[in-house]
Amino acid sequence: MDNVSLVSEVSNAPILWLLCGITVGISALQAALYMRQSKKMTAQISLDPAVPKKAFRVGLISAIGPALGVFIVMVGLMASIGGPMSWFRLSIIGAAATELSAANIGAEACGVVLGSQDYTLMCLAVSWFAMALNGAGWLVFTGVATPSLDKLRTKISGGDINWLVVLSSACSLGIFGYLNAGEIMKGIGNTIAVVTGAVSMVLLMNTICKKYPKLKEYSLGIAMVIGMIFSVGFDQLIK
Amino acid sequence: MNEREVLEQWKKSSIKIGTPTNIIAALTAFIPVLWLCTRYDCWPPFSTVMTAWGLIVASFGALYFVEPISYYASLGLSGTYLGFLSGNIGNMRVPCAALALDVTESTPGTIQAEIVSTMAICGSIITNLIATTSAVIVGGAVLSVLPEFIVDGLTRYASAAIFGATFGNFATKYPQVAIFALAIPVLLKLFTGFSAALVILCTVFGTLFIARIMYKKGIVE
Repeated sequence: MDNVSLVSEVSNAPILWLLCGITVGISALQAALYMRQSKKMTAQISLDPAVPKKAFRVGLISAIGPALGVFIVMVGLMASIGGPMSWFRLSIIGAAATELSAANIGAEACGVVLGSQDYTLMCLAVSWFAMALNGAGWLVFTGVATPSLDKLRTKISGGDINWLVVLSSACSLGIFGYLNAGEIMKGIGNTIAVVTGAVSMVLLMNTICKKYPKLKEYSLGIAMVIGMIFSVGFDQLIK
Repeated sequence: MNEREVLEQWKKSSIKIGTPTNIIAALTAFIPVLWLCTRYDCWPPFSTVMTAWGLIVASFGALYFVEPISYYASLGLSGTYLGFLSGNIGNMRVPCAALALDVTESTPGTIQAEIVSTMAICGSIITNLIATTSAVIVGGAVLSVLPEFIVDGLTRYASAAIFGATFGNFATKYPQVAIFALAIPVLLKLFTGFSAALVILCTVFGTLFIARIMYKKGIVE
C-alpha cells in the first residue's frame, strides 16, 4: 500500500473515534459540571431561574451561525487530517486554521509536505504530536494561571465597579478590534461582511429589538446572515 | 451571605472544576498519537518532535498567554476554563456570552454575570458539538448539495460578520473607545511587522489605557 492511502486509512481507523472521544467527553463533562454549579448558585442567591435558562438559550441559538461555519470547515479538514482528528480538534480547543498549521509544521519538521507520498506514518505521528503539544499550551496555561488572571483583573479594576464595567468592554473592544482588523486586511468582501454585520447588529439592537425584546436572542444570527448576504452578493456582482 | 462572599465561593468551586479538567484534557489529547506510535511502531525521533514543538511555540507560543489575558474580562473565571477547552473563542464563545449578558441585563463582575456567561457558553458548546458530530455523519452529503455561493459565504465571511456584529454591539456603548480599538490594530498591521501576539497585546492594553483616561476625564462612564 502506498503512503498516502496508508496514512488515510490509519487516520480514519474506527478505534480513533473512541480514543478522541475521551477528551471530547472531558469537555462535555466540564460543561455539565459548570451547569450544575450554576443551577446550585441560582437557587442559593434566589436568582430568577428564568435568567440562566434564557442565557443558555442565547448560547444555544447564537452559536448556530458560527457552528455552521465550523461544520463546513470541518468537512474540508476531514480530507486532510482524517475524520476522528477533525472531530476531536474542532470539538475542543482548536480552530481549523491553527490545527492545519500545526499539522503542516509537523510535516515540515520531518522535511516533507503534508499529504504527499513522502508523508509516512511517522510524519503523521509528528503532526499529531504537534497538534497535542500546541493545544496543551493553552490548556496548561489556563488550567494553572486562571485564578491569577482573576487577581490581575481585580488589581487593574482597583475595586471600582463602574470602571470594571468599562474595563471589560474596553478589553472586548480591543480583542474584537484586532479580529476585525485582520478581516479588513483580507479584502473588500471581508470588509463588507464586517461593516454590514456591525451596522445590522447596531440597527437591530436599537430599533426592532427595543420593540420586540425576544428578538435580541436571535440578533447575532440575523446580523451574521445579513453580513454574509452582502459579501456574497458583492462577489457575485463583480464576477 | 453577601455578594462578595458568594462570588468568592463561586470562584473557589469554579477553580476546583476547571483546573483538573483542563489539565487532564491536555494529557488525554496525547492518547491518539500514543496509540498511533504503539500500534504501528512508528515512534518519531525525539529530536524531530522537539523541532516541531519549537516551530509551534515560535508561531503560537505567545498566544498561550496573551489570549487568556485578553479574553478574561469578557469570559469570566469559569468561562475562561470552558472557552479555552472548547475553543472557537472569538467567533463563538465571547459573542454568545456578551449577547447573553446584554439580553439578561447583567453587569460584568457580578455573580449573575458569571452564571449567565457560563450558561451561554455551555449552550454554545452543545450546539458546536452537534455541528461537528453531524459534519462527520452527513458533512460530505450536505456539502455536495449546497450551492457553491452558500458554502463560499460561510467559509469566507461567517467569522467576519460575527466579529463585526459583536464589535458593533460594544461600540454603540463606547463609540469613543471603539475608534481606537479598531485604529490601533489596523495601523500596527499596516506599518509594523509586529507578530500577532504583540499586535493583540498593544491593541488590548492600548485600548484599556485610552478607556482609563476617558473614564478619569468623565468622557465614558
